[in-house]
Amino acid sequence: MLEKSTHLEDVLKSHRMTHIEGLVSKHKSKRDEIKELLEGNYTSDIYSPFNSGSFGKHTAINIKFDLDLVIPFKRNSFDTIENMFNDVYDFLYKEYHESGIATVRKQKVSIGVLFKADEDGDAINIDVVPGRELTKDTYLEDRDLNIYFNENTWGFTKGTYTKTNIQAQIDHIKARDNERKVIRLLKIWKNTNGEKYKSFLLELLTIKAFDKATISGNDWEKLKGVMTYIKDNITKDDFTLKDPGNSNNDVVKSLDTWTRQLLSNKMGIMIQQIESNAENIKSYFPINEEFEEKEENSSSSSYGLKGSSVGPSIPSNNQRFG
Amino acid sequence: MDFELINSTIAAIPFVKKINSIERREFSIVGNVEILLEELGTPLTFDFQINSEYPLKSYDSESINFSNKELVSYNHVMQNGSICIHTSHSTSITEKLRIDFNALKDWIIKYVVNKDEDLNYEHIVVTESPINDTYYSFMFTECKESFYKDELGTVKLSLFNDGILRGKKNFNFFIQKFVPINGEPKNCQWNQYYNKQRAHLEGLYYYIEDAPVTNGRFAYTNWSELNLPQNLLNLLHQHEREKREKLKGRVIPLFIGYKTVGTEIHWQAALLEIGKFPIKGVPEKFNGHKTGKWNTHLVDTEIKWGLTRNSSYQYFFGRGVFSKVLTEKKILIIGVGAVGSIIAQTLTRGGCKYIDFIDHDIKEPENVCRSEYKFANGITSKTVELEKNLYEISPFLNSIKLNDNYFETLIKTFYSDTKRQKKFIDDLKPYDLIFDCSTDNDLMYVLNSLKLETDLINISITNHAKELICAFHPNIYNFVNNQFSNVLKNDVEDLYEPTGCWNPTFKASYNDINVLVQLALKHINKIISGEKAKNNFVIHEADNSLKIVEF
Repeated sequence: MLEKSTHLEDVLKSHRMTHIEGLVSKHKSKRDEIKELLEGNYTSDIYSPFNSGSFGKHTAINIKFDLDLVIPFKRNSFDTIENMFNDVYDFLYKEYHESGIATVRKQKVSIGVLFKADEDGDAINIDVVPGRELTKDTYLEDRDLNIYFNENTWGFTKGTYTKTNIQAQIDHIKARDNERKVIRLLKIWKNTNGEKYKSFLLELLTIKAFDKATISGNDWEKLKGVMTYIKDNITKDDFTLKDPGNSNNDVVKSLDTWTRQLLSNKMGIMIQQIESNAENIKSYFPINEEFEEKEENSSSSSYGLKGSSVGPSIPSNNQRFG
Repeated sequence: MDFELINSTIAAIPFVKKINSIERREFSIVGNVEILLEELGTPLTFDFQINSEYPLKSYDSESINFSNKELVSYNHVMQNGSICIHTSHSTSITEKLRIDFNALKDWIIKYVVNKDEDLNYEHIVVTESPINDTYYSFMFTECKESFYKDELGTVKLSLFNDGILRGKKNFNFFIQKFVPINGEPKNCQWNQYYNKQRAHLEGLYYYIEDAPVTNGRFAYTNWSELNLPQNLLNLLHQHEREKREKLKGRVIPLFIGYKTVGTEIHWQAALLEIGKFPIKGVPEKFNGHKTGKWNTHLVDTEIKWGLTRNSSYQYFFGRGVFSKVLTEKKILIIGVGAVGSIIAQTLTRGGCKYIDFIDHDIKEPENVCRSEYKFANGITSKTVELEKNLYEISPFLNSIKLNDNYFETLIKTFYSDTKRQKKFIDDLKPYDLIFDCSTDNDLMYVLNSLKLETDLINISITNHAKELICAFHPNIYNFVNNQFSNVLKNDVEDLYEPTGCWNPTFKASYNDINVLVQLALKHINKIISGEKAKNNFVIHEADNSLKIVEF
């Protein structure tokens, strides 16, 4: 019988970033290039840019990861947050888009720079998040920034801005290895199933579950504990998820009642299906076959050919009909 | 029938003031009663006829009939004065008589006393007649363009199959377009299949705007009632003169158009026989002298009405469709074997308007027993036959033939080429929804690996149709393979092996497969309309019932 925890361990192993070091270093080099360009352009108007996104938080998985670059602007650099956002966009557009090196576009709170595919077919994508300190000379102490909303998103209106503290968000997950494992698994599920839930939401839910419930045992038991917590709590009226970057921002408010119910149901269904047949765990948390560490004589990923030599005229058990 | 029982039961009904007459006939009991209600100042009299089937219904009608010709202007009264009532079932003569007389009483209160108007539009009552022992039927649908009062023109008609109606031959036509005397044609909004059919007959039309009725709902019975304008009479004369030589005796329709609800138009077809149009030439006179010119005058005869049916989308699918979100989607079905052809046909009957399909396979006689193909079409390409079958079902389905090689060769050859991947994604972008029913694991892998911007649903079944597996992009390849390989017990030994070349297939009947597919489509319809979450699911039989298990 499939050992769920062992499977999850293999899943995590196969999704490690180390498998794609070449691609990661390409990303890092492009990120550094953008960083240097921005530093050269904005000189004393900015503090030192830093990395965020899943890479910054060590929750990246090799099938989907972001390399975000936060640019903290000083209070007096721009009159408005919108002007700051547009200026960074215009600068990157001129540098990359007009020269045909990359596509530059305004996104929800960031400016996306999508480089043209290289000879390996890799298209590097870096998101630049501009933020402005709240009051003059306070950033280095409190790390608070105002970020701009270019679209109606997460309950905010286009054209407005909000306070956030990206450093606090990164710190929130620091040294939490168990939580990170579960977050990575939930991100694998999100990616496998094409779920629209934000990774940040799954992150906060996982951390809260560990803080509020007793989450222990092996990897499956921990994952199940978090999923159970989400199932039982996300639909409660008084349930909140404070953004560590802004205590006034309740992240759960960005979900309507139906979406919260849906997430609760999905968690319930997953637990039920995996408990009723351990093999179902593969439907939600598959091994990234590209980087599967295969043991000799193992054929776990060869669907339908398990444990038997197959003759030319006998269909395998994954023969579908219709 | 128990005459005495009927007589005494009617006499005992409190609001039957008097039985004026009652007599037994060979197959019925007839009579006349006076009904007096508190709400009525004076009693109303009704003839009644109780037929031998009483108290049972016959041909969907009550076997008792009440009539009063003087009440013909009230709602639900037929031209002969019969009151149209439908009452509860009872096998007891006494109970049924009480029910039916009470229904008459309710009708009197609602329509005679309170003069209620019905909310639903009721079509005018037309006596449809054969001409030369043959019926003529005409289907029409909406045109984009409007019609103007007193507009005249010709109508292009196509013939589909002959039918039998009330024991007589019935020619079935559909209207392709209306061509105004001075103006651009107004096409009926059928699909391209019907629009490109050859026109077999030319009729005429006259948009009168108000319904051609007496007493609010009885179609005129004589030509003079229509009050046809001189230019229409001239058009009739010209038309008959042009056609008389070659088409004498041919029946053509004159469509009379009028408004019903809102901007909706209905057409009635008055039948005309070439050579016997209800017109005559009358010499023009001036000061008592003939001028040498002739005028066309009407000859007042009885109108023979043909059958017309508004078959526009809202009526054609009025009794039940999938959600509008689904019916408006541009759909592609890959693989039209048993599952795919059942899906295609169900979506068509469910009102979907855009379904393309692709399959390189040939339909053989042995496919017929469990898919939507017919023996009568012989050996032919599955897509060609399916298209024909679906067009025969719905005049609102639009379908485009696709290149057979696309999924078998092109996409499989270049699937790992990132530049081509973008092209494939763009190729599939025009579709809102793709059903992959190909059961091709390689294609499933290729499609799953594309970052599609369209919804992709993969459907397949296990042997003996024990389970149906439905998965949504992007979790298709992993989920489906895991179900087949590790979770479900797919029996691949007990297969049907036809004689000849080794090519085993699964065992399952049309009923086995169809019941799963119908349930799956019902669930998918709910997912698409937002009523259910988009979770992968498996349908399987448990405790003699089908169960949808979501993942």
